[in-house]
Amino acid sequence: MIITIANLYPDLLNLYGDFGNIRTLCYRLNERGYEAKVTEYFVGDAIDFDNTDIIYLGGGGEKELIAVNEELCPVRDKLKSYVEDGGVMLATCSGFEILGKTFETESGVFDGLGILNISSSWNKDRFIGDVILDSTLVNDKIVGFENHNTRIEIGSYEPLGIVQCGCGNDGINGREGVCYKNLIATFLHGPLLPKNPSLADYILFKALERKGDSTPFISIDDTEENAAREYMLKKIMK
Amino acid sequence: MRKIRNIIAIFVCKLLTFASKLLGKKGSSGPGGIAMKISPTLLKDLSSQLKGPIIMVCGTNGKTTTNNLIYSLMNAKGKSVVCNNVGANMLPGVASAFINMSSLFGKLKADCASIECDEASLRRVVPHVSPTMIVVTNMFRDQLDRYGEIEMTLGYLNEAIEKVPDVTLVLNGDDPVTMQLAKGRKFVTYGVDENCNVSVRESKEGKFCLCCGRELSYNYYHYSQLGDYYCKNCGFKRPRLDYFAKNINMDDGIKFDINGKIETTLSVNYRGFYNIYNILASVCVLCECKESYVGINSVFDEYKPQIGRMEAFCIGGKTTVLNLAKNPAGFNQAIATVLTDKRSKDILIAINDMPSDGKDISWIWDVDFERLAEGNVNKIYVSGMRKHDLAVRLKYGGFKNVSVVGSERDDLKKIISDDGEICYMLVNYTVLFATQANLKALSTLSEGGEIK
Repeated sequence: MIITIANLYPDLLNLYGDFGNIRTLCYRLNERGYEAKVTEYFVGDAIDFDNTDIIYLGGGGEKELIAVNEELCPVRDKLKSYVEDGGVMLATCSGFEILGKTFETESGVFDGLGILNISSSWNKDRFIGDVILDSTLVNDKIVGFENHNTRIEIGSYEPLGIVQCGCGNDGINGREGVCYKNLIATFLHGPLLPKNPSLADYILFKALERKGDSTPFISIDDTEENAAREYMLKKIMK
Repeated sequence: MRKIRNIIAIFVCKLLTFASKLLGKKGSSGPGGIAMKISPTLLKDLSSQLKGPIIMVCGTNGKTTTNNLIYSLMNAKGKSVVCNNVGANMLPGVASAFINMSSLFGKLKADCASIECDEASLRRVVPHVSPTMIVVTNMFRDQLDRYGEIEMTLGYLNEAIEKVPDVTLVLNGDDPVTMQLAKGRKFVTYGVDENCNVSVRESKEGKFCLCCGRELSYNYYHYSQLGDYYCKNCGFKRPRLDYFAKNINMDDGIKFDINGKIETTLSVNYRGFYNIYNILASVCVLCECKESYVGINSVFDEYKPQIGRMEAFCIGGKTTVLNLAKNPAGFNQAIATVLTDKRSKDILIAINDMPSDGKDISWIWDVDFERLAEGNVNKIYVSGMRKHDLAVRLKYGGFKNVSVVGSERDDLKKIISDDGEICYMLVNYTVLFATQANLKALSTLSEGGEIK
């Protein structure tokens, strides 16, 4: 079976190693005998939502983010239907921000894509540092790095995880990211999936399930990934 | 009173520097910081005695090399130069450099200064040391957790430049980000004025025109965002270069012409395309200081690259090359340079995540390690605090049998004794010094016949 991954605007949204997420998804599919096809979309391309199994939206600087938001606005209804229909999507870093009704940057407030009923605000204090979450979604710890001025209050949505270390969505509620149907959005930037194989597998499983394949995953050799996770957990939790 | 405070501060600084040298520490910035606490006006009192130019060198990559080249050129012209050539580039380090060149009574024994300065620190240094020229080598992604996005770094530099309105900026004209600093200011530029096809697949920082926000186009580009750029929308483009490299030949060392305001040919025996920029920047400074460029080739030829800048060691009859690389642009350039060596090689990649390295190492996914597959590589080793992350990165890059090793002398010895004809060690900042010390020790043991 082929899983098609739409990588949205990799030329604009690749602030910091976001490419690692796509790499991880492909690798873990291939190791299990599935084929992975990555379609990169650039400004001006029409996104083929019907033939996409996973959408990835990475992080970018302010200018890049505003450009991407403008580009996606005309197709926001299609993106919304995709998500409402259980389409799998991962948004990391600043990609999280434009999914709400409005988002704020240093230059002002902008209309977002309105996929989620949330809004973001900008604060001059930046949250920077290592993060550990307890996630019920994957029944595991998630390790990552955050670097954002934006604050998001997710209301009644489920978070990706509860902050054990770090700041999270707003530095107050102890929640990080958001999960809605098969959409996962998080501030954890750059290469989130390489070090969180269980989250990568969760995303892949949901995509395969939506295509009618619910065969349990065979486990693959994660020696290196687990060693990298252990180092971070030890370093941060000490 | 001010004079007495200065004398006490200088005395304490010199004493502490001496003591820390006795203890075998590099101790280049700490004492200066203490001296500045004792006498906050000391640095200003010292630097205002200089009759000749004061050069400050900023930029993400190439600061240390460029600064040391300027120092060597000025030295060759018979000048006594204040220089923080150990890379201590924040306010305390700058203070130490000046105090080291001063008498106990606060008399500065120097003609001019060439100071490497951290981008975020420049605004804190210029009130004490007023520069004649500020060199900006380039602006790449580096340690995002410390600086935030690149526009924040531009903001720091702008803030500093505002404080010294008479300064002349020496800018890398090939860098659209660096050129943002030129607006409405006195500046000269340098760059590489031909397509050298050195580009690697990597993300460009200046994807958008920082003037109007549209995407930039390129006639050609060298690496990262450096190249001959232009904006279709607002007309922002690479300026006419005042000093430019042409007819570049990199088959054996680097040979190229510098044209523009001067006409000369240079030839050096070290490698790395990025060194062309370092050399250009230093020549640009020299000429703008109205010094003659005749006979400078020997200065570049005799220049010994700083520790860990493609520094070679001979251990057990085999060459090991140590190179500092601390961000994607630096790593990609190091990899490109390694690939020009056709011999079979073993490679060590080592990364720490101490505060001065940057705690976030996400950028390893922006390094094009995949290119090493075409580099006649015998074996890849990884070490440092983040060795496991490197192992994951390389695994996903398609490399099998990557060895995770420790950072001790014996680990290095084992790597060197592998089957490759040559060994390359690409390491980031805090790994560098210990690795260099170990390689030096191994090299000495080898000379004594203890390693074969």
